[in-house]
Amino acid sequence: MANTSDQKASGKMICPRCGAGMNHHCDKPVYGASPHELTEHDPDNVELLSGGLITQFHSCPNCGAAASRNA
Amino acid sequence: MEATRPLFIPVILGTARMGRMSLHAAQLVAREIGQHSGVDTELVDIAQLPLPTNDAGEAIKDPVFAATMDRADALVIVTPEYNHGYSGLLKHVLDSCLKEYIHKAVGIVGVSAGPFGGTRVIQNLLPVMRELGLVTIFWDVNFSSVRKVFALDGVLLEQDYRWRIDKFLKELFWMAKTLRHGREHVALD
Repeated sequence: MANTSDQKASGKMICPRCGAGMNHHCDKPVYGASPHELTEHDPDNVELLSGGLITQFHSCPNCGAAASRNA
Repeated sequence: MEATRPLFIPVILGTARMGRMSLHAAQLVAREIGQHSGVDTELVDIAQLPLPTNDAGEAIKDPVFAATMDRADALVIVTPEYNHGYSGLLKHVLDSCLKEYIHKAVGIVGVSAGPFGGTRVIQNLLPVMRELGLVTIFWDVNFSSVRKVFALDGVLLEQDYRWRIDKFLKELFWMAKTLRHGREHVALD
Protein backbone atom coordinates (compact mmCIF):
# COMPACT_ATOMS: atom_id res chain seq x y z
CA MET A 1 0.00 0.00 0.00
CA ALA A 2 1.50 3.26 -1.08
CA ASN A 3 0.71 6.53 0.63
CA THR A 4 1.67 9.13 -1.89
CA SER A 5 1.19 12.65 -0.64
CA ASP A 6 3.23 14.38 -3.34
CA GLN A 7 0.58 13.95 -6.05
CA LYS A 8 -2.17 16.56 -6.35
CA ALA A 9 -5.26 15.28 -4.55
CA SER A 10 -7.54 16.55 -7.30
CA GLY A 11 -5.83 14.75 -10.21
CA LYS A 12 -6.00 11.12 -11.24
CA MET A 13 -3.76 9.12 -8.95
CA ILE A 14 -1.14 7.08 -10.78
CA CYS A 15 -0.59 3.50 -9.68
CA PRO A 16 2.76 3.25 -7.89
CA ARG A 17 3.11 -0.35 -9.10
CA CYS A 18 2.17 -0.28 -12.80
CA GLY A 19 1.62 3.37 -13.73
CA ALA A 20 -2.05 3.07 -14.72
CA GLY A 21 -4.64 5.64 -13.68
CA MET A 22 -6.29 4.60 -10.42
CA ASN A 23 -9.92 4.59 -9.32
CA HIS A 24 -10.83 6.86 -6.40
CA HIS A 25 -13.40 4.91 -4.38
CA CYS A 26 -13.41 6.24 -0.85
CA ASP A 27 -12.64 9.14 1.45
CA LYS A 28 -12.26 8.68 5.18
CA PRO A 29 -11.21 10.79 8.13
CA VAL A 30 -8.21 8.99 9.53
CA TYR A 31 -7.50 9.62 13.18
CA GLY A 32 -4.25 9.13 14.94
CA ALA A 33 -2.31 11.31 12.52
CA SER A 34 0.68 12.95 14.11
CA PRO A 35 0.53 16.67 15.06
CA HIS A 36 3.25 17.26 12.47
CA GLU A 37 0.99 15.96 9.69
CA LEU A 38 -1.94 18.05 10.88
CA THR A 39 -0.09 21.35 10.71
CA GLU A 40 0.61 20.83 7.01
CA HIS A 41 -3.05 21.04 6.11
CA ASP A 42 -5.96 23.45 6.22
CA PRO A 43 -6.52 24.49 9.86
CA ASP A 44 -10.15 25.36 9.11
CA ASN A 45 -10.99 21.87 7.91
CA VAL A 46 -13.63 20.52 10.27
CA GLU A 47 -12.14 17.04 10.19
CA LEU A 48 -8.82 18.43 11.29
CA LEU A 49 -10.56 20.15 14.18
CA SER A 50 -11.79 16.75 15.32
CA GLY A 51 -8.30 15.35 15.10
CA GLY A 52 -8.42 13.51 11.78
CA LEU A 53 -7.14 13.86 8.25
CA ILE A 54 -9.26 13.21 5.18
CA THR A 55 -7.57 10.44 3.26
CA GLN A 56 -8.46 9.31 -0.24
CA PHE A 57 -8.29 5.63 -1.16
CA HIS A 58 -7.58 4.51 -4.71
CA SER A 59 -7.35 1.10 -6.42
CA CYS A 60 -5.74 0.19 -9.71
CA PRO A 61 -7.98 -1.38 -12.37
CA ASN A 62 -4.92 -2.85 -14.08
CA CYS A 63 -3.01 -4.60 -11.32
CA GLY A 64 -5.22 -4.27 -8.22
CA ALA A 65 -2.74 -2.23 -6.19
CA ALA A 66 -4.16 0.08 -3.57
CA ALA A 67 -2.87 3.49 -2.61
CA SER A 68 -3.92 6.46 -0.52
CA ARG A 69 -3.16 10.14 -0.26
CA ASN A 70 -4.31 13.06 1.80
CA ALA A 71 -7.29 14.90 0.30
CA MET B 1 -6.83 -8.29 -16.01
CA GLU B 2 -9.44 -8.51 -13.29
CA ALA B 3 -11.00 -11.71 -14.64
CA THR B 4 -7.71 -13.58 -14.65
CA ARG B 5 -6.37 -12.48 -11.28
CA PRO B 6 -7.28 -15.03 -8.61
CA LEU B 7 -8.96 -13.89 -5.45
CA PHE B 8 -6.69 -13.88 -2.43
CA ILE B 9 -8.42 -14.56 0.87
CA PRO B 10 -6.13 -15.08 3.87
CA VAL B 11 -7.45 -16.64 7.07
CA ILE B 12 -6.46 -14.83 10.27
CA LEU B 13 -6.21 -16.98 13.37
CA GLY B 14 -7.16 -14.54 16.11
CA THR B 15 -5.65 -16.02 19.24
CA ALA B 16 -2.20 -16.87 20.54
CA ARG B 17 -3.31 -18.98 23.50
CA MET B 18 -1.70 -22.33 24.21
CA GLY B 19 -3.93 -25.25 23.25
CA ARG B 20 -6.17 -23.09 21.06
CA MET B 21 -8.85 -25.17 19.33
CA SER B 22 -9.42 -22.25 16.97
CA LEU B 23 -6.30 -23.40 15.14
CA HIS B 24 -8.20 -26.44 13.88
CA ALA B 25 -11.11 -24.26 12.74
CA ALA B 26 -8.77 -21.88 10.92
CA GLN B 27 -6.93 -24.73 9.23
CA LEU B 28 -10.22 -26.30 8.14
CA VAL B 29 -11.49 -23.04 6.64
CA ALA B 30 -8.19 -22.49 4.83
CA ARG B 31 -8.34 -26.01 3.43
CA GLU B 32 -11.90 -25.47 2.25
CA ILE B 33 -10.93 -22.22 0.54
CA GLY B 34 -8.05 -24.05 -1.10
CA GLN B 35 -10.52 -26.46 -2.75
CA HIS B 36 -11.83 -23.64 -4.93
CA SER B 37 -10.12 -22.83 -8.20
CA GLY B 38 -9.36 -19.18 -8.71
CA VAL B 39 -8.96 -18.49 -4.99
CA ASP B 40 -5.64 -18.39 -3.14
CA THR B 41 -5.31 -18.37 0.62
CA GLU B 42 -2.86 -18.59 3.47
CA LEU B 43 -3.15 -18.92 7.22
CA VAL B 44 -2.01 -15.86 9.19
CA ASP B 45 -1.27 -16.84 12.78
CA ILE B 46 -1.20 -13.72 14.94
CA ALA B 47 1.02 -15.55 17.42
CA GLN B 48 3.77 -15.46 14.80
CA LEU B 49 3.65 -11.69 14.17
CA PRO B 50 6.48 -9.76 15.82
CA LEU B 51 4.46 -6.75 16.94
CA PRO B 52 5.67 -4.68 19.90
CA THR B 53 3.15 -3.86 22.62
CA ASN B 54 4.59 -0.51 23.75
CA ASP B 55 2.92 1.31 20.85
CA ALA B 56 -0.07 0.69 18.61
CA GLY B 57 -1.64 1.35 15.25
CA GLU B 58 0.25 1.95 12.05
CA ALA B 59 3.37 2.90 14.04
CA ILE B 60 4.03 -0.78 14.66
CA LYS B 61 2.96 -2.10 11.27
CA ASP B 62 4.57 -5.40 10.29
CA PRO B 63 5.56 -5.22 6.60
CA VAL B 64 4.74 -8.85 5.87
CA PHE B 65 1.31 -8.67 7.48
CA ALA B 66 0.60 -5.33 5.78
CA ALA B 67 1.58 -6.74 2.38
CA THR B 68 -0.70 -9.71 2.94
CA MET B 69 -3.61 -7.43 3.82
CA ASP B 70 -2.83 -5.22 0.83
CA ARG B 71 -2.91 -8.21 -1.52
CA ALA B 72 -6.10 -9.61 0.02
CA ASP B 73 -9.49 -9.27 -1.66
CA ALA B 74 -11.25 -10.50 1.47
CA LEU B 75 -10.43 -11.80 4.92
CA VAL B 76 -11.64 -14.60 7.11
CA ILE B 77 -11.17 -13.93 10.81
CA VAL B 78 -11.34 -16.97 13.06
CA THR B 79 -11.82 -15.84 16.61
CA PRO B 80 -12.49 -17.60 19.86
CA GLU B 81 -14.81 -15.96 22.36
CA TYR B 82 -13.08 -14.92 25.58
CA ASN B 83 -15.48 -13.45 28.17
CA HIS B 84 -17.83 -12.47 25.33
CA GLY B 85 -15.03 -10.61 23.54
CA TYR B 86 -12.11 -11.04 21.16
CA SER B 87 -8.49 -11.34 22.19
CA GLY B 88 -6.60 -8.15 22.85
CA LEU B 89 -3.84 -9.39 20.58
CA LEU B 90 -6.26 -9.75 17.65
CA LYS B 91 -7.34 -6.12 18.04
CA HIS B 92 -3.72 -5.04 18.39
CA VAL B 93 -2.85 -6.80 15.13
CA LEU B 94 -5.89 -5.53 13.21
CA ASP B 95 -5.23 -1.96 14.32
CA SER B 96 -1.77 -2.02 12.76
CA CYS B 97 -3.27 -1.51 9.29
CA LEU B 98 -6.06 0.59 7.83
CA LYS B 99 -5.52 1.55 4.21
CA GLU B 100 -4.96 -2.10 3.35
CA TYR B 101 -8.51 -3.06 4.39
CA ILE B 102 -10.63 -0.42 2.71
CA HIS B 103 -13.67 -1.81 0.85
CA LYS B 104 -12.67 -5.44 1.24
CA ALA B 105 -14.96 -8.21 2.38
CA VAL B 106 -14.65 -9.99 5.71
CA GLY B 107 -16.30 -13.10 7.07
CA ILE B 108 -16.08 -14.04 10.72
CA VAL B 109 -15.83 -17.50 12.21
CA GLY B 110 -16.64 -17.75 15.90
CA VAL B 111 -15.33 -20.52 18.12
CA SER B 112 -16.43 -21.35 21.64
CA ALA B 113 -16.25 -24.14 24.15
CA GLY B 114 -19.92 -23.57 24.96
CA PRO B 115 -23.11 -23.77 22.94
CA PHE B 116 -23.24 -20.32 21.33
CA GLY B 117 -20.42 -20.71 18.83
CA GLY B 118 -18.87 -17.31 19.35
CA THR B 119 -22.01 -15.36 18.45
CA ARG B 120 -21.20 -12.70 21.05
CA VAL B 121 -17.64 -12.15 19.93
CA ILE B 122 -18.85 -11.84 16.34
CA GLN B 123 -21.34 -9.15 17.37
CA ASN B 124 -18.57 -7.33 19.21
CA LEU B 125 -16.26 -7.46 16.21
CA LEU B 126 -18.77 -5.97 13.76
CA PRO B 127 -18.28 -2.29 14.71
CA VAL B 128 -14.52 -2.79 14.63
CA MET B 129 -14.76 -4.19 11.11
CA ARG B 130 -16.76 -1.20 9.96
CA GLU B 131 -14.29 1.29 11.36
CA LEU B 132 -11.45 -0.53 9.63
CA GLY B 133 -13.24 -0.11 6.29
CA LEU B 134 -14.03 -3.82 5.94
CA VAL B 135 -17.41 -4.96 4.63
CA THR B 136 -18.99 -7.80 6.56
CA ILE B 137 -20.96 -10.61 4.98
CA PHE B 138 -23.99 -11.84 6.87
CA TRP B 139 -23.27 -15.54 6.91
CA ASP B 140 -21.06 -16.58 9.84
CA VAL B 141 -19.68 -19.93 10.87
CA ASN B 142 -20.19 -20.79 14.52
CA PHE B 143 -18.16 -23.60 16.05
CA SER B 144 -20.09 -24.52 19.19
CA SER B 145 -18.72 -26.92 21.78
CA VAL B 146 -15.54 -26.97 19.77
CA ARG B 147 -13.98 -29.81 21.71
CA LYS B 148 -16.68 -32.05 20.25
CA VAL B 149 -16.20 -30.72 16.73
CA PHE B 150 -12.50 -31.50 16.44
CA ALA B 151 -10.36 -34.28 17.83
CA LEU B 152 -7.27 -33.06 19.66
CA ASP B 153 -5.21 -33.71 16.54
CA GLY B 154 -7.50 -31.49 14.47
CA VAL B 155 -9.56 -34.13 12.71
CA LEU B 156 -13.06 -32.84 11.98
CA LEU B 157 -15.64 -34.96 13.80
CA GLU B 158 -18.81 -33.21 12.64
CA GLN B 159 -19.00 -33.16 8.87
CA ASP B 160 -21.99 -30.79 8.78
CA TYR B 161 -19.51 -27.96 9.22
CA ARG B 162 -18.30 -28.44 5.67
CA TRP B 163 -21.74 -27.44 4.38
CA ARG B 164 -21.84 -24.40 6.67
CA ILE B 165 -18.39 -23.31 5.57
CA ASP B 166 -19.36 -23.77 1.92
CA LYS B 167 -22.36 -21.43 2.35
CA PHE B 168 -20.14 -18.92 4.15
CA LEU B 169 -17.48 -19.03 1.44
CA LYS B 170 -19.93 -18.66 -1.42
CA GLU B 171 -21.17 -15.38 -0.01
CA LEU B 172 -17.64 -14.26 0.81
CA PHE B 173 -16.41 -14.96 -2.74
CA TRP B 174 -19.36 -13.06 -4.20
CA MET B 175 -18.68 -10.09 -1.97
CA ALA B 176 -14.96 -10.21 -2.69
CA LYS B 177 -15.54 -10.15 -6.46
CA THR B 178 -18.14 -7.44 -6.22
CA LEU B 179 -16.03 -5.20 -4.01
CA ARG B 180 -12.94 -5.74 -6.15
CA HIS B 181 -14.90 -4.56 -9.17
CA GLY B 182 -16.15 -1.58 -7.19
CA ARG B 183 -12.74 -0.63 -5.85
CA GLU B 184 -11.17 -0.77 -9.27
CA HIS B 185 -13.94 0.54 -11.51
CA VAL B 186 -16.63 2.47 -9.65
CA ALA B 187 -15.48 5.98 -8.88
CA LEU B 188 -16.58 8.01 -5.90
CA ASP B 189 -17.45 11.01 -8.08
